[in-house]
Parts: sequence; C-alpha cells; structure tokens
Amino acid sequence: MKTLALGAMFAGMWLVVGTGPVDTGSLPSGHEAGAIFAATVASSSESTSSPSVSPATLTEVVQQYCVVCHNDALLTGNLSFQRFSVENAADEAVTAEKMIRKLRAGMMPPPGMPRPSADTLQQLVETLESTVDAAAEASPNLGDRRFQRLTREEYQRVIRDLLDLEVKAGQWLPPDIVVGAFDNASAGQRLSTTLLDSCLSAASDIARMAIGNADALSSTNKHLVPMQVSQHAWDHVDGTPFGTRGGVVVTQDFLADGEYVFQVETSLGDKAFEEDIDISIDGEPVALIMLEHGGSGRRGGGSGLISAQNTEPIFVRAGQHQVSAAFVSRLDGMYEDRFSPPEWSYSSNQGGTPGITGLSHVTELWITGPTNIAGVSETASRAKVFTCIPTSPAEERPCAKSILTDLSSRANRRPASPEQVAALMKLYDEAAAGEGFEIGVRTGLQGVLASPEFLFRLERQPADVQPGQVYRLAGVDLATRLSFFLWASAPDEELLGAAERLSDPAVLEEQVRRMLRDPRSEALSTRFLHQWLRLQGVGLVWPESYLFPGFSQQLADGLVQETHMLFDYMVQEDRSMLDIFRADYTFVNETVARHYGIEGIFGDEFRRVQYPDDRRQGVFGHGSVLQLTSMSGRTSPVLRGKWVMEVLMGTPPPPPPPNVPAFEASPDAGDGRRLTTRERMEAHSSSPVCNSCHRFIDPVGLALDNFDPTGQWRIRENMAPIDSRGEFYDGTSIATAAELADVLLKRPIPLVRNFTGRLLSYALGRPIEYFDSPTVRGIVRSAEAGDYKMSALVLGIVKSDVFQMRQAPATAN
Amino acid sequence: MKFITGKHLSRRTFLRGTGASVALPFMDAMVPAGRAWRDPAAGSTRLVCVMEAMGCAGGNDWGDSQRLFAPEKVGRDFEFEQQSQLKPLEEYRDYLTVVSQTDCRMAEPFRAEEIGGDHDRSTAVFLTQAHPLQTEADVFCGKSMDQVHADRFGQETALPSLELTVEPVDRGCAYNYHCAYTNSQSWASASQPLPSIREPRAVFDQLFGAGDSPSDRAARLRTNRSLLDFIATELAQLKRELGATDRVALDEYTTHMRELERRIQLVEAQNSSGEEREMPEAPSGVPDKWQDHMALMFDLQVLALQADVTRVISFITGIDQANRTHPESGVNKSWHGASHHGNVPASIMDFHAINTYRLSQMGYFLEKMKNTMDGDASLLDKTAIVWGSPMGDPNLHNHRRCPLILMGKANGALEGNMHLRAPQGTPMANVFVSLMQKLGHDDMHHFGDSTGEFPLSFPRGTASSQVGA
Repeated sequence: MKTLALGAMFAGMWLVVGTGPVDTGSLPSGHEAGAIFAATVASSSESTSSPSVSPATLTEVVQQYCVVCHNDALLTGNLSFQRFSVENAADEAVTAEKMIRKLRAGMMPPPGMPRPSADTLQQLVETLESTVDAAAEASPNLGDRRFQRLTREEYQRVIRDLLDLEVKAGQWLPPDIVVGAFDNASAGQRLSTTLLDSCLSAASDIARMAIGNADALSSTNKHLVPMQVSQHAWDHVDGTPFGTRGGVVVTQDFLADGEYVFQVETSLGDKAFEEDIDISIDGEPVALIMLEHGGSGRRGGGSGLISAQNTEPIFVRAGQHQVSAAFVSRLDGMYEDRFSPPEWSYSSNQGGTPGITGLSHVTELWITGPTNIAGVSETASRAKVFTCIPTSPAEERPCAKSILTDLSSRANRRPASPEQVAALMKLYDEAAAGEGFEIGVRTGLQGVLASPEFLFRLERQPADVQPGQVYRLAGVDLATRLSFFLWASAPDEELLGAAERLSDPAVLEEQVRRMLRDPRSEALSTRFLHQWLRLQGVGLVWPESYLFPGFSQQLADGLVQETHMLFDYMVQEDRSMLDIFRADYTFVNETVARHYGIEGIFGDEFRRVQYPDDRRQGVFGHGSVLQLTSMSGRTSPVLRGKWVMEVLMGTPPPPPPPNVPAFEASPDAGDGRRLTTRERMEAHSSSPVCNSCHRFIDPVGLALDNFDPTGQWRIRENMAPIDSRGEFYDGTSIATAAELADVLLKRPIPLVRNFTGRLLSYALGRPIEYFDSPTVRGIVRSAEAGDYKMSALVLGIVKSDVFQMRQAPATAN
Repeated sequence: MKFITGKHLSRRTFLRGTGASVALPFMDAMVPAGRAWRDPAAGSTRLVCVMEAMGCAGGNDWGDSQRLFAPEKVGRDFEFEQQSQLKPLEEYRDYLTVVSQTDCRMAEPFRAEEIGGDHDRSTAVFLTQAHPLQTEADVFCGKSMDQVHADRFGQETALPSLELTVEPVDRGCAYNYHCAYTNSQSWASASQPLPSIREPRAVFDQLFGAGDSPSDRAARLRTNRSLLDFIATELAQLKRELGATDRVALDEYTTHMRELERRIQLVEAQNSSGEEREMPEAPSGVPDKWQDHMALMFDLQVLALQADVTRVISFITGIDQANRTHPESGVNKSWHGASHHGNVPASIMDFHAINTYRLSQMGYFLEKMKNTMDGDASLLDKTAIVWGSPMGDPNLHNHRRCPLILMGKANGALEGNMHLRAPQGTPMANVFVSLMQKLGHDDMHHFGDSTGEFPLSFPRGTASSQVGA
C-alpha cells in the first residue's frame, strides 16, 4: 500500500487509495457513486437554487469526502484540505479555485470514490464561488505586469498598416517567448541588447524598403522551398499561375527600378528531358526558363541539367511584388515525390527506374539585382510616407516635419509631442544636410521605428497616483489595448478619434462591435485561437510519408485555415462560443474536402459546408487538431485526451510518473499482428498508478480514434477494426467525436470559463491568476442568457476592471 | 509576354558584390611567425558551449554496458568502439577530452510539483548548474559559465558573447515553467536569460552590422549611433509619465543602450581596418534541413571567432522534446519519441543512431576550426569547446551519467586525446570549475552544485584512482 500511495503521489492528483478492491474497468456498481454521476454538477445553469446548506456543514462535507486523499500525509495533487473551511474559503482562494475547477468539471471526487449527493456538491461549489467572489469584490486585485512590446506578428501587422509593407519580423527580431499559451505575455518579453540591436536593424532595413533605394547594390535573395510542399500536378501551389505545377511564390522587395535576374535551383527530374519554368511577377508572366536534363548529374547533388537555370536581366519597378516560379504542367504518369523518405523507392533508384520518373522540383528561387538602376518609381509604401512633396528647397523642411509628425503619431498610437517631433527633426536635419530630403525622411522614419514608444505599449500613469491606487487607463491607452486585443495591430483613425469618449459604455460597445465586424478581427483567429488551440503544432510531427503519402504542406496549411475560418465565422456572425464543440458545419477548399471525403468542392477557395454526416462535429472533426495530437506513425489517444483536458477544459492531467515504459516495447498480439492503439492503451488499466489518471484521459482520446494521424476517417488499424468505445469519467459511454462533444456540453460552464480565461489572458498580456477567477465568472454569468455569444464574452472582457484599469504597485519604486 | 531562353551565367557572376563584406582585423601577415599573437596566460581563450538537449544512449545502463558513449578504457589509450557515439569524431582524437559519468542534479525535481518537468528546465541547467525556480513569471536560475567567462574576458570585443540556437519553442512550455528555461542556456545573471538567435542573417548582422557594402555598413552604424541618442532623449521624457513597474524596465533598457553603443564603436573600429569577409552563402530565412542550418551556424561561429568579434559563444543544437526526424541517421523515428526507448536494446540503438548522427555534425565544426589559422595556431588549438547535455538517460528523464566532451586545446589548457571517467556521483559542475580555472578563472572554487575540482589530466582525476575515495 505504501508504494502505491507514493506512486500515486508522484502521479499527482487522482489517487485511488485502498478503500477496498477497485474495479478499474467500469464504475463500481451498487455504489452510490454510480447513481450520482448522472445527476452530479451537470447543471447547465448557475442559478440553480436548492435548499441552503450552511458553510459549516459544507466544510464537514469536504472533511468527510475530500480529506481521504487530500491530507497532510498523502498530499495528493499537492493539496491538503485538513485545515480548509468553506467559511474562510476567501482566505485560501488559491486552493478554493482549484476545488471549484475540479468540482465544476464533475471530476471530483473521482470515479470509484464515495460522493456526497449532487445537490450537496452543487451547493459546495456555489458557496465556494460566492464566498470568494464577495471577498474579491470588497477588495479587488487587478494584478499587474510590465508593459508589452510588439511581438513579431504584431510588428508585421503594424508595419503593414503603417507603411503598406509585408515584412517577416523574424528576419530581425529574436523569437517571441510564449508564457502560458500566448506570445504577447509581458513576462516572456525580456529586454536585451540583442533585442535593441535587432530593432535598429529592422528599422534600418524597413525604412529602406519603404522609401526605396536608388543607390542599392546588387544582391542576391535566396528563397527556399520547403521539402514538404508537394509539387505534384494535382497539388497546385496557391498563387502560381493556373496550368503550372509545383514551384514557389515569394514576396520580394525590389529596392529600385532596375534589372533583376531570376534563377531557380531544382532537384531530380533526371528523366524529364525538357521542362519549362514560368516566372511571373504579380501574376504576369515575364519569362520562361527552359530546363534541359540529360547530363550525368547525380540526384541530390544536381540534376544533370545541361541548360542554364536563370533568366536574362528583367526590368522590374520598385516596390514589393509577388514573384512565382513554377513548372508549366505537362507531365503525367507515375513518379515519386521529393519528400519521400530514403527508405522509399526513391533512394533505391539509382537515377530512376523505368516506369518511375523523379519529378523535378524547384528547391530555391534566387533573385539578384538591381543593376542598371533607373530610379525609384512611386510605390504604395512611398505614397503612405510622402504625404507631401516639396517643390522647392524651402518647402523641404516643413514637408519633412509634417511627414514625421504624421508617421510618429500613427506609429506611437497617440499624437506626437512637440519634443518627439523635435527629436525626429534632429535626425532629419543631420541626414538631410549631407544627403538630401529623401534620405533625411528615411532617417527620421528609422527614428520612428526605433522609438521605445513605438516598440513598447507604454501606458501612462496619472501624475498624482499613490502606491496601491487603482486608476482608469487614459483613452488612447485603452484604445491601444482594444486594438491589439481585437486586431493585433494599432488603432485606426476612427478608434483614436473616439479614444477620449471610450469611458462612455455606449461608445465603447459601438467601437467593439465595429472592430469585430472589421476584417482585421481575423487576428482573433490567427493569433488568439491559433495559440490557444496550439495550431503551431500542425506539421511539427510530420506524418510518416510512406504511411501517409498524401499529406503535404498545402494540406497542413488548409487544415489550419479551416480552423481559423470556423472561429472567424463565429466572430463575424456572433455565434455562441460553444460552436467550437457543436458546429455541424465547417470550411473547406478542394484539398481539405478531398481529404475529408466531401464531394463537389473545387478550387483553392474555402467555403462553408455542412458536414455530410455526423462523423465530425466542432473542432473534434478538424484535421488540424487531430494531426497536432498524433505521433508520426500512429494516433495517440493520450495526446488527444490530454489536449482536450488541458486546452478545452482547462483541467490538465498531472505529469506521468518517471520511468514509463514506451509503447514501442509493447508485445504484439501473439498472432504476428501488431497491436492496435487501443489494445496498447489497455495496458494502462492494469496499473492502478497509471489508471488513476488514464481513466480520465484515454476514453476522451479513444472516442476520436476513427481519425488517423492526418485527421482522415478510418475504420481499421493494423488489420483490426477500430474500437473507439470508452467510458467518460462521469460514466457516460462515448464512442464518437459527436458523443465526446455532447458529453462535454453537459457541463458548459467550465468550458466557457476556460475559454474566457484564455481570452482574458490574451487581452491583458499576462497569465490568468487565481484572483482573476471572480472576473471570469462574472463575464461568463452575464453571457449565459445569450448562450455565450462571442460578442458578449468579448464585451465582458473589454468592460471589466482588469481591462480598463491598472493598479500602482503597493510600494513606490 | 516575354520569353527568354536561359543563357548561362556563372554563379560567380551572381555572387560578385552580393555577399555582405566585412573587415577582418587580424591577418596572419601581421604576426611574426612562430609567436602567439595573444598570450594565453592573459586569459583570452575562446569558449564555445554547445548543448545537446536529450542525453545519449550511453546514459542508459544497457547503453553504457555497450560502450555507446563512455569508452571502456580511460586515459590516452581509450578506443573508439565501432558503435560508439564518438566514432564520427575519431579523426579529431587529439582534440577530444571525453569526460564520462558526471551528473547534472540541479535539473532534477526538488519538489513534487516539479516531477515530470525535466524537459522544461534542463536547458537552463547545463551552463548554470543551478536549479531553475518553477515559475512562469519572474525567472530565477543562475549565472551561466559562458557569461562568467564573457564578463571577465569578453569585454574588449564587440560582442561580449553570442547566443545561438537552431530551434526555439514557439508553443507554451509545460509544468509551470517559463519558456526562457527551455530557450536560453546563457544567463547573464540568475534573473537574466539571454535570447538566442536562430536566423543566420540576423547573426551576421549582429556580428558585423547590417548593410550591403562596407560603406553602407559604416553609414548604418553611424545612423544607429544617432538613433541611440534619439532613443535616450525619448526615454528620459517617457519615464516621467510611467508607473514604477514600467519605469524599472526602461531603466534596464538604458543599460542595454549603453552596451549597444559600446558594441557599435568596436564594430566600427573593427570594420575600418583589415580585409573583407563574405557572409557564408546564406539564404534569407532558416534552411529547411537541420544539417544545413547547423553548418551555417558553425560557419558563422568560426567567422565570429576568427574576426575576434566575440570570444564566447553558446549554441543550442536542438530543444527538449523536439520531434524532428533525422532520416540521414538511418532511423525514421522522431528524436524525442526515440529518446523514450523503453530500455529495449533495439530501440536504444535507434535512439543511438540519431544521436550519433547529431554528434557527427561537430566534425564539420572541428574541421573548420582546425583549418582556420589564428596567427601561429589554429582556432581549434586556441579554443575550448564544451559539448554536452544536462540529461543522462532521457527515457527516465534522469540527469546522471550525462554526456560531456571538451574539445579543442584551449591554448594548451586541454591536452586532448583523453578519456576521464568521473567517480559516480561527480557533479558536472566540478569539471566546469577545473576547466574555468584553466581558462583564467583561478579564483573560481565553486560553481553551481560543485563539490570540488575535477583535474582534467591523466592519471589524476581518473576513476581508477578515485573510486572508493
């Protein structure tokens, strides 16, 4: 018994202590727990009123039912309730919040352990909540954080809005560090000399890209084509001309009007003889490179090309242009794709076997120039910068001043102060004196982009604030919080214009609704949802090519876009947040539709479709989620279950104990057949230490096991039929994605609270702490009447004190 | 529409005038033959620390019995067994000091909450040998060895130190650990993790300044100096209007500005003399293949050391739990997946194949260092390279019997051609104390969880003489 207890302590939370034999396969029958589960804290409404039980009685309930595991000796889940009393829950808010979370999810007491009645549990959780909430209302804790700086993604969006330029901030800025779930958390944004240095480099490069550079030296930009991009004829690369296959599309900065040479590097294609590569700029064909194979080059080291791989110099005007290089499609028949692993037939073919052609692939696109510079044409970026053009030397300085005042105000998200303009003009004067007006403005623009006011979102503190005092943010600071929350970029003119009136709730609400309707609110999908659901993980573990040869970068991108579009639709149409779980519709293009077996969808455009059957529901049917929770060669019910519990429910399982034997070590079925994932999963139930957690995790993941590692529907694995049946921890039988979603929806409150907490964390730029829970509960409570509409949750956050106010640190300095 | 038949242009034509050019301050011709241009005793030995994330197959009992990492014999007679992870480095034998069986116990869990979070805190332990505080907010660990070296011997160079990585985490970190513990092995102080750069071009720009030509580079550096003055003016005004928390952070920013100002002056001085260097042929962005990325990052390190832009480098070759695959190793399993080999010999060998392939990349670096002369000797003769991992057997997430190899001759501080087996339970920090003493930190007697010194010579410091002691 001692070793078991110790092991379970390591396992963390759900300890099944020796209260008699525990039937790990199913819920104990004949025990009161079985009956209670169905009715437990499943109520979907918080307003349930039942006969009031005194806090003292509830304390006894805790002592009777919870202290069995959570005591000073066992410290299960690192918690002891031996001295916990419900009356004083507010004094132990950290512990109380942990209890609330588990009780709301219906996870505690765990299956197999005695439970009080459902009513009592409901009373307990409601009393805990109301006690903590009342205390929080009496003395609010707003928390604090250092200012936020622009993340890479925000930097890109801000530059796009400010200068009409597409940049890749990762070219200069160090990687953003994720804290909690989000890259915009202030705690991850450490300042360093490297950061400062990289911001100066970015300012210097971007100013040149925006203004153009008639003195630019010829240089070569190499663009790589990732191996995972399929160059099959049927996997068209979005942005290349129709009738082409493979290739690459890049955004290239052309610094001046001049001549540029385009060159492609290719691999394979030994037996392709002749192929043409189309070079197009902004969709207009400008050149054709004719590749002629037939040399003796070896695969990998060269493709035996006997022709050149570059164009003649081509005249291109300054500015950013989309350049594509793709094969004119004319090859059919059998061939191997480049991203096949070495074991695949490819590597064993020395130079191609009859009947199999190594299809040529573009691997790099090089763009070299400019030469023969003819000046710098007007570009979209220059139009943004040069709001005036001096016609005489006398007009130069006033014009520069007006340009820099305007740029600085937009970049700093507040009117530029006379001191700021004077400092910028000093930069202008120094540079203009030697090199003229344009270089002067360019240097001033570098100043704008290097300014701490631009890089950091600095919120002003009123002069007379005392330590510990709570104060309302200034209008411009609130506007900036709002726009980075909803758009991940700076406020537009209209929002800045309304900044001083945002303290009027009607004005605030009107602006929020306008901003949600604006296309820029896509940032909620591509930034918030993306990070919350961990969509960065799609393709991180690449499905093994010989098992899933159809998985390509195009498909991976499409699956991510599907999930983005679902959420964007929910925002635009003001749907319920619960659509994440219950949507019977999704968004597909031809690639994704083909993957899902949905017929009649053609082309690269995404569109809304009803699921043709009930196999998929909400994000549980999304290939993105299913892929990022899989291993390369098999599904992982554990990863999927853990993802659901951690990401969607906010109740992560504790870490596994050390020295867990690996799956690969599992024996086969004895008849030469490999075990199915489910069969291997069943090993968990044989060990009480494993089972105390895995009985929660595994059934969730198994319910999704009809989806393979790429999210494709399957009915067999390793020659055995898929058996996805399992028992959710509340006793409900689940076997499908829809049943999993439905059983979760029986308790919507923890789901919506978890979502709201994440959204609040993203909005504030700091992880959510226990003292934020009353705020979250308040927002969710007020959104309940409208079935948790997106706008209600967003407005709840925007109107909350934590969003609108700050608290000076308790001690000065 | 304009069709053009490709006419051959040599690659040379494209690259002419395209590579970024920088000045090299030091030329062989400037030093009289046979004399070291810098006195090793002055403590200018360069230090490169390379971290491998997830231990080795030899960290496992069975793997150790198969001599997958630690050779059987100690001293100068050790052999490169056929299946040893060290095998790919055999030709650099004279430059290797293999130290087996040391522990990084500061990476172990201290409290129940920390159990399972090994992957999330190990990286921060390697060079600090300190135990990271479990937090997502105010990080606390220890000052790292490379930073100790940089503080004393890196201040004359433009960059006191350079931090590189091939792989940052872009998703959250688990177990309530700040991602800085996973992304940063270099810590300027216990609360200051240093960011690592991943983009080759950004590394180059940091070393030599951005720009297309020497004159462009010089002009940009001049402008940057004016910009720093401008920022200083801004900051002074801003601080008056901010709350205490924000003000403290901006004060910190001011110290970074002074440091950058110093750097710019040194880079300017350096660029204004000597010969020009080209950036190794580098694409924009990060190469697709790990091997190509590694090679580029090594090229840049050699360039930085050669140009004396920095004397201290730390390099992360892969992060914990990375599921990158290395088909070139002959094994298709993901790296992290394979690390949980379940103690099954066949699976351990799969993991071993991946690790052997990964370590073999060091051969590229060693070769390049060996072929790059710095006055009278090669860079490899003049540099101390620390290669190792804070993890031992990743299947158990343990931190005992961690792999560690000291490479290079470190201006004579390291003899090379040696295998030293530490007595069981020796902290890796002991090795670091002795190494640092040899690198000029004579006053260092403790580091991290060190319990003493670990002489880096044979026969002293071998297992045979110390077992049971």
